[in-house]
This record gives sequence, structure tokens and C-alpha cells, in this order.
Amino acid sequence: MQKNDSIYWNPLLETLPREKLRALQLKKFKRIVEWAYHNSPFYRRLYRAAGLEPGDIRTFEDIGKVPRVEKAMLRDVQKNEPFPYGDMLAVPRERIVVFRQTSGTTGAPVYQADTWQDWEWWAESWCYILYAQGYRDTDRVFIPFGYNIFVAFWAMHYAAEKLGCETVPGGVLDTDARILKMKELRCTAFGATPTYVLGLAERAKKLNIDPGRDLQIKRITVAGEPGGSVPSTKKRMEEAWGAKVYDHIGATEIGAWSYECTEQPGGLHVNEALFLVEIEDVETGEPITEAGKRGKLVITALDRIGKPCIRFDSKDVSLWSDGVCGCGRTFRMIEGGIVGRADDITKVKGVLLAPTAIEEAVRGIPELGDEYEVVVTKEGDLDKIALKIEIRPGKEGEQEAILARLKDQLRVKTNLGYQISVHPVGALPRYEVKAKRFKDLRKN
Amino acid sequence: MDKTAVKEMGRMIKKMRKLADGLREKAAGIQAVERNLDRISANITMLEINVSDVRDLL
Repeated sequence: MQKNDSIYWNPLLETLPREKLRALQLKKFKRIVEWAYHNSPFYRRLYRAAGLEPGDIRTFEDIGKVPRVEKAMLRDVQKNEPFPYGDMLAVPRERIVVFRQTSGTTGAPVYQADTWQDWEWWAESWCYILYAQGYRDTDRVFIPFGYNIFVAFWAMHYAAEKLGCETVPGGVLDTDARILKMKELRCTAFGATPTYVLGLAERAKKLNIDPGRDLQIKRITVAGEPGGSVPSTKKRMEEAWGAKVYDHIGATEIGAWSYECTEQPGGLHVNEALFLVEIEDVETGEPITEAGKRGKLVITALDRIGKPCIRFDSKDVSLWSDGVCGCGRTFRMIEGGIVGRADDITKVKGVLLAPTAIEEAVRGIPELGDEYEVVVTKEGDLDKIALKIEIRPGKEGEQEAILARLKDQLRVKTNLGYQISVHPVGALPRYEVKAKRFKDLRKN
Repeated sequence: MDKTAVKEMGRMIKKMRKLADGLREKAAGIQAVERNLDRISANITMLEINVSDVRDLL
């Protein structure tokens, strides 16, 4: 194979002038709507009910006429045949070769069907991510993931292989064995949730292994939680591992649609060659095209055929960046990753609260441990918000000053006062995949 | 990369697609051929996504 020093997985698409990118997106959007209309009973019903024919989409502005799909619709359609996916499928059931499901964080899981072509496409979209983050065929990539029904790092595994990396599956190994295997094999990269990246580092220290000194990890790709774009969490991870940490955003129903590149410009590139990402006002649904204004993400996977994902209302909240990345990619960026979810930005004591703001405050204080937990309850008509934290060993004597700084930061970042309780390190729950640190018990 | 080279790649990918489709017709249900063609076909689609879809826009 010819030696290639390009920083792009595919320079044809990643540096395409923006007006041509838009033309490509429109062409592909029309194609996937046409495909879904003719092959998926669910989409045909949806579009006919809206009085929409595929031929009605002529311009970029026409895309807004296409009905959005919500997660509740994905759950509901699963009651139909063919089992267990329902008639959103756009291929015969026999063409489905991979089952995955969502984690069920927001309700009943959604079952995801993929053809082999879709699975190649998953790996392809992850190749864009890994290549942009500096992964090359000289890397030995460790996957400390429980290879199961969740898509999580399956796609990273296949992409790393496709890219030519030597890929080490850390499947059923426990955390200690994973750390020792990474050390033994001198692995250079791995992927995990931010929670587990910090958990691995904490555990390594208990094994008298300093990840930054004793392991050879150069880059880490995180997914599944917002922490990769929360500056204080990212700093903790990079310091613990002596490695660069890169964020990525994706979802089981959508695909791997966004990634940070090695420039780390404070935002993530949207892979606009494979996805159409729209940002809409949460209240009015009006499109937001200007930078700096928060809205919810509506996303289309432009090439996914088994169970098409067209104008999926992700409920994730983000904002466009007006920055131009030094990497030269023409893909537009979103600023600071996912900054919240339209359905978990909640009112506490009358104040709008995004849980990521608490994470930023807690992780910004180095004397605090990595774990924390927030519990919101109601006493009579009053909301109560409790925050459980851990103080690092050796710092207990500074508790009063640390708590004062924490309260200040919480006030600045969330406008709320908290009942704070201090727990010994290790007392709060540890997670391997997605953490559940925010518990709103008012809804129960 | 110059446009001519991209257009030539597009033509070659089209030939690969035609060849794979032709082979499937000849396979007469032989699973060892058809199932491998499923995988080859998926990879040809990735080439189409990466090259063919964009070649007319360059």
C-alpha cells in the first residue's frame, strides 16, 4: 500500500467546499427518503399522513417539510411485525445480520437492526473518527468493553481493524486484567466512556500502576456521556493518563455522526458527508443556522438502509460553532459537544438545570474524587437538591475550604444551593458504561 | 487529487459493481458465493459513498 501522510480518512469528502457539501447532502437526503418511502411501511404511512411524496423535496428548505421521528415512535412501531423491530424495517428481515439495542436510559430500549452494509457503514463512519484522532496502522488499540447487545465500542473495534490497527478485544476481562493487559501489550490507544476512563485510572493506581508513566497510551476516544467535552472532566482524564482524550458523539439509532480531531478546537466536527444534522429551537422547532444559539439536534443518517433514520429528533441540545478548524476540514463544528438534553434539562427550585453543569463544577476541583451523585427530591412544595461527593485521600483536612470553593462554583454554574455530603473515596457507585449520577426522585 | 483521477475511480467502482452483480447471477444459489458477495457488495457501497457520490460534484 502506498505511504500516506494525509491527515484525512477521505480528503474528497472532508475538504469538500461547503456549497458542494450541501449539494451532496440534498442529493443523499432525497435518495434516503425515496428508499424509505418505497421500502419501509412505517415511513410510507408517516409521509402519506403528512401529504408528502419523495418528489416534493427539491430544495434544502423542503427538508423541513419531512416529518420528524421521535424515540416514542421507534418504541411504538416495535409492536408491529416483523418481530422484534416492527415495520420501520426497509429490507426483508432475512437481510438483518446484527441486533443491537439502546441502553434504555430514557425508557424502554429500542431494538436496532442492521444489514451487513449498515454494519460496514458503522465501521466506515468510525474510521473517519479514528483517523481524525490520529489512529494509524502502527497503533495497538485496546477495547475494554463488554462486547454485548449495546453498540458502544463494537463499531470502534471494527473501524480500528479496518484502519489497519492491531485490535485487542478486552471483552470479559475484569478491570484489573484489562489494565494489566494494556501494560503487558504496550497498547497505544483505547476507547471507553469518560466514567470508565477515570475509573480505570483510579483502579490502576490501586495496583501501583501510574497510567501516565507505566502505560504507553497516547490517545483515548470517549463516547456515551458528555464528559469528553466537559473541560474539567477532559483535563482530569488527560492528566490521569498522560494522553490526549478525544470526544465523539453518536447514538444507536443514528450512527457515529460527530468527532473531535487532533486540533482539539473546542468543538466537534459533524460528519456532513454521512449525516445531515439540523439544530432547531426547542420551543418553536424553527431551524437555527447561526452560531452560538442552543437548540435540539434533528439528525438524518444519509446512507443507513436497514432501519432508516430520517430526521430523528434526538432531544440532545447543542449549538453551532462559527470557528474554522485548523485541520482544514470543511465539516461544520458544534461547540462543546452535547450540552444537555431537551428532556433532562429540568427545573429545580424554579431554576433551569443541566446536569453537565454540576459535572463541570465538581470535576473542576482537583481535591475532589471523580465520582459524585445528585439527588433531587420534593418536601412539601419545596425542591431539595443533594450532592454527594468524595474528597481525595490526604485532603480531608482541607474539607471546609474545598466545600466553600465547590459551593461558589455550583452557584456560578447552576444558580442553585445544594445540601452537600462528603463520603469516603470508593463509597459512591462506580460504573463501567453509562453512569447514572443524576437522580430526580420527584417524578416517582 | 485531480478530477480526472476521481472520475476514473468512479468508473472503476461502477465496473466492480457490475462484476459483483454478474457474479451473483451466475452463483445459482451457491451460498459460499452469494454470502461472500454480500460482503463484497457492502464494501463496494462504501466506495460509492466515498467516491462515486461526490465525483459529479467536483
